[in-house]
Amino acid sequence: MIAVIGQTQHHETSMFKQVVHFSRVLHNEGLSVNPANLIDLCRCFDYVDIRSRDDFHTAACTTLLSNREDLDLFDRVFERFWDGTLKLGVNVVDDRPGEPGSGEGKKEARTEHLDSEADDPAEKGEDEADALSYSADEILMKRDLGTLTDEEIDQASHLTKELIAAIATQWSRRKAPDKRGMAPDFRRMLRRNALHSAEGFAEMRYLSRRIKKNRLLLLCDVSGSMQRYSKFMIQFIYGLRSMIPDLEVAVFSTRVTRITDLLRRKGIEASLSSVAEKVQDWSGGTDIGGCIGEFNDLYAAKLLRSRSVVIVLSDGWDRGDTDVMREQMSRLKRRAYKLLWLNPLLGSQGYRPLCQGMATALPYLDFFLPAHSLGSLSQLAETIRKMN
Amino acid sequence: MSERQPAAHQFDSIEAVEARFAEEGYVTDRMLATTVYLAVSLGKPVFLEGEPGVGKTEVAKVIAGTLNTELIRLQCYEGLDTAHALYEWNYPRQLLELRLQEARGLNQEEIGRNLFSEEFLLKRPLLRAIQNDGVQPPVLLIDEIDRSDEEFEAFLLEVLSDFQITIPEIGTIEARCRPVVVLTSNRTRELHDALKRRCLYHWIDYPNFSKEVQIITTRVPGIEPRLSAQICRFMELLRDQDFYKRPGIAETIDWASALLSLKVTDLDQASAEATLGCILKYRGDIEKLRALGIEDLVQQARVVSHYEAVSSGT
Repeated sequence: MIAVIGQTQHHETSMFKQVVHFSRVLHNEGLSVNPANLIDLCRCFDYVDIRSRDDFHTAACTTLLSNREDLDLFDRVFERFWDGTLKLGVNVVDDRPGEPGSGEGKKEARTEHLDSEADDPAEKGEDEADALSYSADEILMKRDLGTLTDEEIDQASHLTKELIAAIATQWSRRKAPDKRGMAPDFRRMLRRNALHSAEGFAEMRYLSRRIKKNRLLLLCDVSGSMQRYSKFMIQFIYGLRSMIPDLEVAVFSTRVTRITDLLRRKGIEASLSSVAEKVQDWSGGTDIGGCIGEFNDLYAAKLLRSRSVVIVLSDGWDRGDTDVMREQMSRLKRRAYKLLWLNPLLGSQGYRPLCQGMATALPYLDFFLPAHSLGSLSQLAETIRKMN
Repeated sequence: MSERQPAAHQFDSIEAVEARFAEEGYVTDRMLATTVYLAVSLGKPVFLEGEPGVGKTEVAKVIAGTLNTELIRLQCYEGLDTAHALYEWNYPRQLLELRLQEARGLNQEEIGRNLFSEEFLLKRPLLRAIQNDGVQPPVLLIDEIDRSDEEFEAFLLEVLSDFQITIPEIGTIEARCRPVVVLTSNRTRELHDALKRRCLYHWIDYPNFSKEVQIITTRVPGIEPRLSAQICRFMELLRDQDFYKRPGIAETIDWASALLSLKVTDLDQASAEATLGCILKYRGDIEKLRALGIEDLVQQARVVSHYEAVSSGT
């Protein structure tokens, strides 16, 4: 199939403009497109009959998208856009090609955009209504977090030391030069010694496995049901932070807040009180699934690498939708190297993860561990060492 | 970035891809055919994602078959490194060569001069794919890329954008003709956007009923239309359930061949139960199916597929 449009330059430029508009509409809908991929799409026009809706759709899909989840949104935008493009196509043939047509195209694109904005607030309104019903429970209280004694913090960091060493590092499967290594490094030996002597090597060289650093992200539940454990949680965060400077921390109850930067400030008391200030929903209601979703959307791509260990610290009392929870947990699981859940309730005798939220999350976890006391942390350390 | 070399092989049209795939016994749909057509025409890698057993790897094999060229496969795993993906020096042979040269009484300056030449190079899949003769570029299958680690992903990014490889001792080797590259992923983890951006993306879903019947008919010759309809309907019902590992097309084909070799012509509870191992591979899943009631599902599959067979006239 040879290019249908592309007989004249005007046709081509207007087509390219269309493509750019399309990408803008996508962008406005929250689906950003890489310019290089737009160029790929334009190159496709040489091979695909762009009058065929399905083929054009596939070409656009395959070049612009790289996630199955984006398909639905893409299809919706495409459907609305396709009509606009067709109108423009008629204009180009009837009138003089070029500017007038594309001008209309711009209008089309803009109305699309307006439409979408008109749609969005309605949706947002619903979301907000949802959020509001939760906010009724959201107790906007500021807890006095500055009451930790220095001894307690010392104790916490001492106990977490072992844990951190286990979490933060891992044996790499790759080998690097190492004097004390076990595997001979033939390549280096041959390169350095071959010309001096064929009889024996002047110097043996070895390889060994490297130690890799994992990244660590802590997601803390600060809802009402977790209030009892807030003191422990703070100790835990500080213990971790003193040993892993680039630890990422986010807290959630009805929404997610990243508090890494806050914690970076010097002086524990000062940061503790600013955490209480910044985290509006400290001790409110819980929507774990929604919060993890929010985290996935806002932070996951930026903060998580394939080497990231994610630790969720929560009792799993969730009042959100289990389907949302399931979907978001599986998304988080795919992003993270290991997903751990520390549950303070697991320490109490006779506890079984029966509550809805915890039961939903369970299949997606690599480890489910108690966290009711500082002592339980050494168990965590052991587990993580085995994991490597 | 280097200039794009035209691909030696090209399909004439999307329809040609569909036809050639059909000849190779792979039932495709328009979307996949378009993606393959564009990938070969534009010289871009295809990135196929989907549940295990939906025929991702098969696509690469079929492309190689239709283009009548070599398939080079690189299976990914954690810790895969350049020595296994790209090249490695043949150390035993290098040492032997040193000894021989010495025995031959070569000059001190001459000894070891040729140690790092192509003669002592062990070529691994990526290097073989790039160092093609330019007449028949191979199909490079990078299978289960989600199993590899971040370092390899970054390395692959470099190879896939320039299609050249630098070996310090030899120099830069550039692809005379770009291989057709197919990457597959089971989605156990998310890949880096930069890598995905360089590829044409396609999600392979479970096939719908009629497509799956078509697949069975082509892949398991000699099967009764009624039985294949029952099998596919049964699989559809199974995939609605939440199993740990949902059966893919590979399982459907296995099951159909198993039933055929048992000379089953009509699906019943006994034959289904005896061959459960073909479709479900976890004890938990099999127990779950038993709890759901196999007889019930078989009955449903028989009724519905009878109706479908009649209405579609197959």
